[in-house]
Amino acid sequence: MPRPRDPAPDLKTLQAAFGRSVRTAIANGTDLQLLAGGADAACFGAGIDVYRNNAWQFFLTALERTYPVTQRRVGVDYFRQLARDYRVQHPSQHGDLHWIGEAFPPWLADRMAGTGYEWLADLARLEWACATAIAAAQRDPVGLESLSRFDPDVLPCLALVLQPSLQLVASPFPIWSVWQANQREDAAAPVDLAAGAEHCAVACIADQVAVYRLEAADHRLLQHLCAGMSLSDATAAAASDAETLGRLLERLLRWAFGEGLVVQVVKASPA
Amino acid sequence: MTGDPSPAPVQGPIPARAGIGLRSQHHEAILETASPPAWLEVHTENYFHAGGPAVRALERARSRHPLSLHGVGLGLGSADPIDRGHLERVRDAVQRFEPGLVSEHACWGHVGGEHFNDLLPLPYTEEAVEHLAARVREVQDFLGRQILVENLSAYVSFASSQLSEGEFLAAVVERSGCGLLLDVNNAYVNASNLGLDLDAFFAALPRRAIQEIHLAGHSRRWAGARELLIDDHGSTVCDDVWVLYEDALRRFGPVPTLIEWDNEVPPLETLLAEAARADQRLERHLATAA
Repeated sequence: MPRPRDPAPDLKTLQAAFGRSVRTAIANGTDLQLLAGGADAACFGAGIDVYRNNAWQFFLTALERTYPVTQRRVGVDYFRQLARDYRVQHPSQHGDLHWIGEAFPPWLADRMAGTGYEWLADLARLEWACATAIAAAQRDPVGLESLSRFDPDVLPCLALVLQPSLQLVASPFPIWSVWQANQREDAAAPVDLAAGAEHCAVACIADQVAVYRLEAADHRLLQHLCAGMSLSDATAAAASDAETLGRLLERLLRWAFGEGLVVQVVKASPA
Repeated sequence: MTGDPSPAPVQGPIPARAGIGLRSQHHEAILETASPPAWLEVHTENYFHAGGPAVRALERARSRHPLSLHGVGLGLGSADPIDRGHLERVRDAVQRFEPGLVSEHACWGHVGGEHFNDLLPLPYTEEAVEHLAARVREVQDFLGRQILVENLSAYVSFASSQLSEGEFLAAVVERSGCGLLLDVNNAYVNASNLGLDLDAFFAALPRRAIQEIHLAGHSRRWAGARELLIDDHGSTVCDDVWVLYEDALRRFGPVPTLIEWDNEVPPLETLLAEAARADQRLERHLATAA
């Protein structure tokens, strides 16, 4: 049975030294000596290498699983470099690997600023929305007929409760097209990155993540509805002339109910 | 979904038979197989979510099989405070899935706010015993039930250790009231990597505390001049570990035994074949006990 030769470090000191050794590419000699406690530091270091490699691989794999399209667009090697740099600033904050990629899109936005690749951060935002949508609660949808139980006079005052997984992502770049083009292994159709803005909605319906491309006006209206606005307030806030607004609302309602995105119709709370 | 209520979980204790770790690749196959395992185990953290296909698949499987929840992310022995948010999600999972057993590891995992998402080794000191036992008590009080603590596979040992691994675990059991999950492959890996005396290790463990056994495969890797066994759960159980498992059954009696396979996950039939090998040994010992 091993016996201590030197005063043993307390648990906090030992774990801090161990953590530094696992985090850095090469453990520093002082930490290794402290951890090895008089035993063979090189031998101890070989064991530390295993933990260092594990921690890195777990981190990288979690990020790769969350951002497969981003990885595909930048290539495996560059994605690995991005992951290393991201980890320096955003080490894992959870015992649950799911959250490792949470700060990746804003970090990527900073990293890509001014490079001509700003669209990558928006693509990552779309992928993070997918990753969180698939973990969200799913509720039974209601149909368009649920509006009919209300008096026609109160229809403008109604609000929609939408699927908890529903998230909206907008970008000045064609991120839906990029995402869509990379859903098939053999897809190689180039996307014109100058094609302009795209607006997306992400939701998990019947255990499947769906990513929709929306018209800008639909996206705006849906944003207001997600915020709990009544149908009339949301429509008024969304756009311009009354005739267009009526058509816009009808189109959006048919789509949202049809896709199973509406889970309840309620009277809107007064602003 | 709310209109499709979750099927009721199977009730009762986990039988002294072989179970398998349920992985996402087998969510459908496990419901369709003609020879299902006696019970299932999952990593608790994989089912923290409010919903989604994984949660729904486990609810379906849970309605047919006894379940064990096996945590890998709490870092019980971390000197930093326990992550209360993580612990709350463990409690939510326990309430949702009503497992027969709940387990974690004799390890630490985070320091200074950084999580390494790995099972990091503790020194076997009086301070660490007291600390780990206090953390186990904290978790058990919070969950309102006993947990099992699993012996770790390790690639380093600390010269500051004052106790053997078996003495360390026995002291934690005595001071916390937890049970033990004996991972036979981990013990084998530690014997090879760190010179653990397997006979002394088994002899030091309190017999009645052992409520579950894990079996898994390992690989070999050169780390500098050292050949290390890596506990990667990516292959069949090796012959030596089967022999050691028989020894464990003789000493501790038949207890629920899990085939763990987390990497390079094979077809369900391969896992079930491994489980059948464990079941043969369990049945022999059950017959002897009878």
